[in-house]
Amino acid sequence: MPTVLKVRDLVTKFYTLDGVVNAVNGVSFDLEEGETLAIVGESGSGKSVTMMSLLGLIPTPPGVVESGTAFFSGPEGRHDLLQMSAEELRNVRGGQIGFVFQDPISTLNPILTIGEQIAETLTRHQNMTREQARNRATELLAQVGIPDPKLRYKNYPFQFSGGMRQRVVIAIAIACTPQIVIADEPTTALDVTVQAQIVDLFRKLRELLGVAVVWITHDLGVVAGVAERVLVMYGGRPAEIALVDDLYERPQHPYTVGLLGALPRLDLKESERLVSIRGAPPDLLIPLKHCPFAWRCDYAFDRCWEEIPPLLTVGMRHRVACFYDMATHAPRRSANGGGPRDV
Amino acid sequence: MSENDVLVRVLNLKKHFPIVGGLLGRQVGAVKAVDGISFEIGRGETLGMVGESGCGKSTAGRAILQLHKPTSGQVFFQDHELTQIGGEELRQLRPQMQMIFQDPYATLNPRHSVGKIVGEPLVIHRVMKKGSQELKDRVAELLELVGMDPTYVRRFPHEFSGGQRQRIGIARALSLNPSFIVCDEPISALDVSIQAQVVNLMQDLQSQLNVAYLFIAHDLSMVKHISHRIVVMYLGKIMELAERNELFDNPLHPYTQSLNSAVPVPLPKMERRRRRFILKGDPPSPANPPSGCVFHTRCPLSEKKCHTTEPESREMHPGHFVSCHLADDAEGSKIPEQTILASVMG
Repeated sequence: MPTVLKVRDLVTKFYTLDGVVNAVNGVSFDLEEGETLAIVGESGSGKSVTMMSLLGLIPTPPGVVESGTAFFSGPEGRHDLLQMSAEELRNVRGGQIGFVFQDPISTLNPILTIGEQIAETLTRHQNMTREQARNRATELLAQVGIPDPKLRYKNYPFQFSGGMRQRVVIAIAIACTPQIVIADEPTTALDVTVQAQIVDLFRKLRELLGVAVVWITHDLGVVAGVAERVLVMYGGRPAEIALVDDLYERPQHPYTVGLLGALPRLDLKESERLVSIRGAPPDLLIPLKHCPFAWRCDYAFDRCWEEIPPLLTVGMRHRVACFYDMATHAPRRSANGGGPRDV
Repeated sequence: MSENDVLVRVLNLKKHFPIVGGLLGRQVGAVKAVDGISFEIGRGETLGMVGESGCGKSTAGRAILQLHKPTSGQVFFQDHELTQIGGEELRQLRPQMQMIFQDPYATLNPRHSVGKIVGEPLVIHRVMKKGSQELKDRVAELLELVGMDPTYVRRFPHEFSGGQRQRIGIARALSLNPSFIVCDEPISALDVSIQAQVVNLMQDLQSQLNVAYLFIAHDLSMVKHISHRIVVMYLGKIMELAERNELFDNPLHPYTQSLNSAVPVPLPKMERRRRRFILKGDPPSPANPPSGCVFHTRCPLSEKKCHTTEPESREMHPGHFVSCHLADDAEGSKIPEQTILASVMG
């Protein structure tokens, strides 16, 4: 599969009054055409900042994208998003890359009808006439499952429920048939029955449009159902990246193992005691010279305190940033990883 | 549950909030946040309470503790009818009924040290004297109980992470040796790895201290993990109440079935295979609840009588209560396979 997005060694920092927050410390990943990649992590893991950095959405100051490359292959060729001008990025955002954020009420403009907001995207990016845009917007409303789209076109966001608003945001995101949709915790603010509706809608749209999706979330349950590959982040760094089945069945990073153990399971009859990860996530104000998870890790040995583990290839499309081999319960022998950097 | 084991009994509890409107500020309606719920909680038991936002689960917790004055209905705690007593008599009972809140940032006074926060209930209820050695020892003991370093007494809330703050909140709730704690979404604001720490702590404390929990949450899998019995609420009413495995293996109410089916499981192969039933629409407003069964507007099985007559709670198996007209026989209220398939296709 051709790659639509190739991110290498992204570093983003925030220069605050309290000091420098090392939010993203060298993230690399590829996104293939039409695939869903989930980025999983707890608050402060850098999962949202990673995606916002790529699209120039980091508030500057205090935020600065310090280094890295992010090649996006769109209809106009291959370009580094991080080198684009503000104007060029504006054309990409909402056009070739769509967005769905957590909270639909703050995403939508309260004083424009939802129809106008969808049509605005179309006139802005696709040079449609107002008439064309209106017809297409009505089609899109129907496509995301809003009943009576002609009537609802004229409604304002406050007249919609949370789930319906998120559908409108999705309609805006897919309006210009983008290559990528970035969904940042799209179901976190919704009730579980409504969450199931939105997850289902995403699945259908992906099949229909063949769009690649980056799904940012902390919910490993949702990930199991939507993603093909998963990137687990910790302390602003990638901890593990693998195909979804491998990650859940053969997790290699002690943090991933801990996260999966911390989840209660609906499918088990007797509740086993949850595996908790001791301690708390790292303070990003302190620049690290060792594994960010070492404090909380039961397997940490001297090397973990001396250097930062790079991403090592441990299986087919499976890479992990850890010196300890969970399979043999011993330090990894070929600790420089080897293999191409096919993250 | 035998009569002696019941700690809290709730009978037809209602809490309506008035909607005022017009020039004269007259009451024009009511938000029926909690609309006639009944259940019991045993000593040392965890009763889970689940439902979507706006179903009245938090209001129910507060109305039981008389933090919201109930509109009608009765709440019994041990031998006392909380809804009849007030003032000093109620205050005397307060030490035994405590609460843990959702937001560990909003519930701790930022100007008070950890020692003051945890020790304050003991001072207010005149169990111990301010500044006494006895109080200091008790605070240290409580901090140790919740897995914190007792030397933290002089620190302030901003020095702690969310999970540690929640531990402080738990230590405060435990300070007066309560027999009942209402836990209102105690882990929703925490990260996954920290949630497990707090849940394990709460379970350990329960086995040590024999305290009963009303565990309110929207996360069905966590509620199943921690609870002995579970209440499913929808729009201010109880849809189903059963022992936890019974509720998951044999859910009788169509709402419980769809809730169950909507919860994602962290197993990719199972998630892909799973045929889930997806409910249409959103929950209606509790200010204007539907007639008859409140769930009929979203129910795939609703019949004529569901639109007109409110179903009563019936005990279908020992300890398994359901409010559904169609639950007469086991298959009556089961969402049929065709409907499940249709919801996935549609």
